[in-house]
Amino acid sequence: MRIQTPEDLDSVRKNGLKKIQPGRPRIGIGTSSCGIAVGGIALYDRINEIVQNENHDISLVKTGCIGFCKEEPIVSVSIPGKALVLLRKVHQEDAEKVISLALQGDVPSDRVLCKISDWDHITGNLVYGNGFDSIPEYEEIPFFAHQKKVILRDSGLINPEDIDEYIGIGGYFASFKALTSMEPDAIIDEVKRSGLRGRGGAGFPAGLKWEITKKAPGEEKYIVCNADEGDPGAYMNRNEMESDPHMLLEGMLIGAFAMGVHEGLIYIRAEYPLAIERLMLALEQARLYGLLGKNIFNTGFDFDIRIATGAGAFVCGESTALAASIEGKTGRPRLRPPRLTEKGVFGKPTDLNNVETWCNVPVIIAKGASWYSSIGAKGNTGTKVFSLVGKVDNVGMVEVPLGTSLHSIIYDIGNGGALGREVKAVQTGGPSGGCIPVRLFDTPVDFENLNKVGTMMGSGGLVVMDEDTNMVDIARYFINFASGESCGKCVPCREGLKHMLLILNRIVAGKGTHEDINLLKELSETVQKTSLCGLGQTAPNPVLTTMQYFLEEYDDLISPEA
Amino acid sequence: MSLFGSMNRMVTITINKNQYLAEEGEIFLLTAMRLNIDIPHLCYEKALEPYGACRLCMVDVVTCGKTTMTPACTIKVHNGLEILTDTPEIIKHRSLLFELYLAEAPKSEVVREMAAKYGVTKTRFLKKIVHDDPLLGKCILCGLCVRVCNEIMGTCAINFINRGPYTVINTPFFEQNPDCAGCAACAQVCPTNAIVFDDRGSNRIMQSWSHTTVPLATCSSCRKSFAPEKLMQKVLNNLEPEIIEEIRTLCPECRRKLITRKEVGKIPKS
Ligand SMILES: Cc1cc2nc3c(=O)[nH]c(=O)nc-3n(C[C@H](O)[C@H](O)[C@H](O)COP(=O)(O)O)c2cc1C
Ligand code: SF4
Ligand code: SF4
Ligand code: FES
Repeated sequence: MRIQTPEDLDSVRKNGLKKIQPGRPRIGIGTSSCGIAVGGIALYDRINEIVQNENHDISLVKTGCIGFCKEEPIVSVSIPGKALVLLRKVHQEDAEKVISLALQGDVPSDRVLCKISDWDHITGNLVYGNGFDSIPEYEEIPFFAHQKKVILRDSGLINPEDIDEYIGIGGYFASFKALTSMEPDAIIDEVKRSGLRGRGGAGFPAGLKWEITKKAPGEEKYIVCNADEGDPGAYMNRNEMESDPHMLLEGMLIGAFAMGVHEGLIYIRAEYPLAIERLMLALEQARLYGLLGKNIFNTGFDFDIRIATGAGAFVCGESTALAASIEGKTGRPRLRPPRLTEKGVFGKPTDLNNVETWCNVPVIIAKGASWYSSIGAKGNTGTKVFSLVGKVDNVGMVEVPLGTSLHSIIYDIGNGGALGREVKAVQTGGPSGGCIPVRLFDTPVDFENLNKVGTMMGSGGLVVMDEDTNMVDIARYFINFASGESCGKCVPCREGLKHMLLILNRIVAGKGTHEDINLLKELSETVQKTSLCGLGQTAPNPVLTTMQYFLEEYDDLISPEA
Repeated sequence: MSLFGSMNRMVTITINKNQYLAEEGEIFLLTAMRLNIDIPHLCYEKALEPYGACRLCMVDVVTCGKTTMTPACTIKVHNGLEILTDTPEIIKHRSLLFELYLAEAPKSEVVREMAAKYGVTKTRFLKKIVHDDPLLGKCILCGLCVRVCNEIMGTCAINFINRGPYTVINTPFFEQNPDCAGCAACAQVCPTNAIVFDDRGSNRIMQSWSHTTVPLATCSSCRKSFAPEKLMQKVLNNLEPEIIEEIRTLCPECRRKLITRKEVGKIPKS
């Protein structure tokens, strides 16, 4: 069936809602990569087996990740009329108990995490019900209480493999509104006024990039989604695609219409097989409903999206290397200008945006620019998803308004160091970012303030380090990564990082001298200043910041004889 | 200004606080060279698009009082362009880059001489020693050979292999590559003379490229081996058929003689 009229869309919505609230117990199993890694699929299979064999009146679905990766596999149980309950660390052995209790309208108390009475999907509202008085509310769990879910609004609650559920909570209504009732320029204007900045790291205003692409001469153009996500410790984009793939597709559809582009590409690393699988499925389902393809919503507008897989090179996240890789060439950055908006994929004007940037678009259109810009800080509007990992107690996917302090993220949400250890520093921005010491944890997390303390937003990895972490070793780890990922085109990055690594190896092995420390600093500055692309230009940041904030740890490694 | 025989507009630019007239749109590196302002460079070649890989030509572009380091080979001259080529900062970074090159290509006289000219005579970094390096410890990975082979000759016989510090240049799988025409354009453009080849009997052997062996054409007149056969075919395919027939098998010298004889023959006898 092709969705063409508001009535069509609404009937699919009703149908989708019925899937989410089927009038019988519904069990959702967290099966994003994080859930699968700790047995999510085995649990799903076991429950499925029991439900099938015993012919239970239960609806079983796969869901994405609700963010609390530490507690996976997370299972949601919703019983008609009652609050939805999240269960933590549920394993195969628990399957029978979960099912039999659900049939009795109950949940295993020893696995309870919290309950959700109603949920704001932003594009729609869901009321589950009450009951379970002794179970804490979602808002009472510190890990959740300090977050604001805009991008992750559906994650872990809907089935990412079923387009009906996305439409059920108001999905594709924003694109319907955009395509059928808005002028393309008005859409761009809305995105500009929302203040949305690129979530891929540099924070370039998204609306402006759209406008530049639109104005670039030429008929044939591309929009591309950057899903290369190569930073160690970062998996926000993977999760967004695994948990709610239609949010991305809808964002791209709106963008394509606004820019007058008919071809979209998602550049995704082959190491994300589940995300690729769910995207493929999502594309297929969207095409069946006519949300992609020819004459979308009967407006005469054509647009489709293809997937281009990369071989997982970090440098292929860089815009020009990404374009080369899509064209089938080696992923090596080239000089800019010309920027992609002028000469991008296959030489055509191209708008490249990060996964999460695209994911912000549907809510901006659904709720309007002023609603959006009231979230976050001035010049840094909206929320940002972070993957909070490393030696922090609560590991997971965290979404907060921009401008939230590091302290709040690491202590209020993360509950401080793992195993009661003292937190020492946090690394933001992956190999391009720096390490910030605890004393600077008041720093608001936004594009400018992170730059001020020597690091950057990057795509959103937050790696926490505790008292046992050696900061020189951390610097060494990141330089090793960057050197291995360098494309080898320009000498400061190719040779400079190699020698930085050799020096760091020497220091870590206790064989370094004070001269080595000076040379390391000198070399860092040259690599930063003279490298061709962002990889080399930012790769020394972990060294420079650890030298700035933890120089004594370098000195401690120099033997007195040296 | 027809002084330079050019159609382009002349504009005023400032280099190291001095004003000069320069041709609009010209690559700044060339402008500077013409004005005898010295900027070291290793990866620029007029026939190719600027590549910006060697990073030696970095200069400061001054805009509204702020400076940005940019490779001179990527800057196009425009009116009011302001450049600094020798600030302490630039000299510092450039010197360190030379140290990196001295470690990367320890056998290259070109690099050694160029570095020495800028006051860098030794390196603090571990020198790269590769046994049996087909490029003799001289390659600085400027990519010119690859680009000439791919973009100008259209041959694609060699390319970059591996990435990062492990990057090398050679034929696929380090095997003799039948695509190589033996034109040796790569060796021509190589700034450090790293590429070795040798004509032995009726073959040209591209030693650096996995000893790819390319047969040479033999002149039907003097019996000497001259250009690689494949290259001859390529060149001849672009000429008119009648001309090809006459000169197909002649070496350049015999060809010249033939053509001279013909031309002389055309002069009317008075
Ligand atoms: C070495 C390097 C790696 C990058 N990796 C990514 C990436 O994985 N994902 C991404 O969205 N942007 C990445 N970027 C930034 C992109 O080049 C580009 O700025 C971004 O995709 C633009 O999208 P945005 O405006 O929506 O942020 C990387 C940049 C560099 C220099
Ligand atoms: S900075 Fe590194 S990754 Fe970027 S072009 Fe240079 S060598 Fe390649
Ligand atoms: S062999 Fe010569 S031309 Fe080729 S990359 Fe090395 S230095 Fe450059
Ligand atoms: S000549 Fe400009 S970077 Fe090499």
